[in-house]
Amino acid sequence: MPLSSYSTQFERHANALTAAERAPRSVQFARFLDSGFPSRDEEHWHYTDLTALSDRSFEPEGQTAEALPQPLLDDADALVYLNGRLLSERGAADWHSDAAELPPPSRGVDALNAAFATGGLRLRLSQGERLTRPLQVVLISRSDAQPTMSHQRHVIELGDQAEATVLLDFVGDGGERLATHFFELRLGRGARLNLYRIQNEAAGGTLVARIDAKLSRDAKLNAVTVDLGAGLARHDLDINLAEAGAEADVAGLYAAQAGAHIDNLVRVVHSAAHCRSRMNVRGLVDERTKAIFNGKVLVQPGAQKTDSEQRIANLLLSRKAEVNAKPDLEIYADDVKCAHGATVGQLDQVALSYLRSRGIPKDVARGLLLRAFAIEILDRFDWPALRARVEANLHLPSELTTDFEP
Amino acid sequence: MLEINNLHARVDDKEILKGLNLAIRPGEVHAIMGPNGAGKSTLSNVIAGREGYDVTSGEILFENQDLLALEPETRACEGIFLGFQYPVEIPGVSNMTLLKAAMNARRKHRGQDEIPPGDFLAWVRDRAKLVKIDPKMLSRGVNEGFSGGEKKRNEILQMLILEPRLMILDETDSGLDIDALKVVSDGINALRSPERSTVLVTHYQRLLDYVQPDFVHVLARGRIVKSGGPELAKELEEKGYGWLEAA
Repeated sequence: MPLSSYSTQFERHANALTAAERAPRSVQFARFLDSGFPSRDEEHWHYTDLTALSDRSFEPEGQTAEALPQPLLDDADALVYLNGRLLSERGAADWHSDAAELPPPSRGVDALNAAFATGGLRLRLSQGERLTRPLQVVLISRSDAQPTMSHQRHVIELGDQAEATVLLDFVGDGGERLATHFFELRLGRGARLNLYRIQNEAAGGTLVARIDAKLSRDAKLNAVTVDLGAGLARHDLDINLAEAGAEADVAGLYAAQAGAHIDNLVRVVHSAAHCRSRMNVRGLVDERTKAIFNGKVLVQPGAQKTDSEQRIANLLLSRKAEVNAKPDLEIYADDVKCAHGATVGQLDQVALSYLRSRGIPKDVARGLLLRAFAIEILDRFDWPALRARVEANLHLPSELTTDFEP
Repeated sequence: MLEINNLHARVDDKEILKGLNLAIRPGEVHAIMGPNGAGKSTLSNVIAGREGYDVTSGEILFENQDLLALEPETRACEGIFLGFQYPVEIPGVSNMTLLKAAMNARRKHRGQDEIPPGDFLAWVRDRAKLVKIDPKMLSRGVNEGFSGGEKKRNEILQMLILEPRLMILDETDSGLDIDALKVVSDGINALRSPERSTVLVTHYQRLLDYVQPDFVHVLARGRIVKSGGPELAKELEEKGYGWLEAA
């Protein structure tokens, strides 16, 4: 029977809870059983079918080695989670919570997550509070002997004028895994969040993550997202510009390895007048990878003077690569400025041959051109150590440090 | 230095070069002239190893090695430089990045260490003066936003920096005003030496007033149909190519 392994796991999970804890979880799990995993028939899941997960069996508590897949960034405080459990922390104990804050009854993966979810990041800054150091949240999904699953719910709440830089660092390695992460972001008036989401899921892993952000008056969200790795990843970024003057700037890069399936859905809802949104996305899509990017901007009635722009550009690097990119615009106000566009192209062979004619080996020349394509997104990093790490992961030639003073 | 024997080459199934022969010794400057469509650019591109040019028979020997067996980047590292007729713009790859990558590729090819950054900057600054390019422009993307004349001067700058053994300049003079032509010619002349050879592909006598060739060849219908000294260029300027094409 489909989903039976999940039922077995849920019973075990629920038995360990108090009756009061169990009730809302059971409601969520019933909703999950009712809807199942999303299939292609569902809106927003057109390119990613998770129904194959129905017959799988994942252990919620996988036994694994406790080693970091990569060192922490020196200049950040850190929380490190392994399969949903806090493994270690550095200067960030205050920002962890074991308890999960559950959403209203939902469906699909949301409901599955809510039924099992443990806590995770809970960053709450009061009015005017500023994080002095960036916060690196490492979310590792790993399995050794048995397929494992983990589900977490996270919260970031910035009070009025509060400021923070947060890195959501998704890492997956080894074997078959399922990880789901839901983030609630609340930005108070004039608050500012620099959010980095880096995903490096290895083959065999399935990652479903959603970030729901709500911005108050004059709040600003800078989001930089990078998808690497070879797993199956689905990311939703839902941004609600709820009050006037709110601003969201999303820069995205996907450059996955062979076998990867990367599905991004970024939605920005302009609910109030005088808000600004930017979406600038670049994709490098190589052999046997499938990349999907759906951008959507919805301008609600009354959201006059909306200023929005969506740009999606892709480089297809192989005949066997597949990309589906769609910018979408829905407008219910008449005094707005909205632009959108998507392109899919190939590496510039003339430029490649020019560089080679100067003695630069083909692979280096290719790397320089790929870097040139990605540079607009890389330049959005305001965190040199993280940028260097990402560039190394992209296997692009390092930045030229020799130059005349500008 | 360069020996071309019975070269046949195609572009898109169309035979452009039909049995071309040419020999260039160290220190010589050869001008190749000829009507449009004769195969001048094809010859330059075949020597440089550009993709899309199909050599169907014949051989090219560079310093006695089979040039056609080498990748374009290896040819460049061996000392061949092609100055393009239409230099490409590459936003996102700065001129400095290109120059440094090109220099270090060459050094690696020769088994040398990478150039120290200070030496590199000093060398670029020194060479940029010769072609009157503000070094600050080199922080920009390759040829990005450069005028036609600046692009050609930038080709010469790359050549001055990389110091090739064989310089091939494909219509580098076209579209240049007289001042730019002077700068470009000075750049070429600065590199002239007994060990270095030059091929000037040009339509006009004008460039040859500044860069004195040792030999002038007329390329027509895919072959060299006439060769001579500098006086041949003057003759062509007066009579055109018709009398040779008919021959």
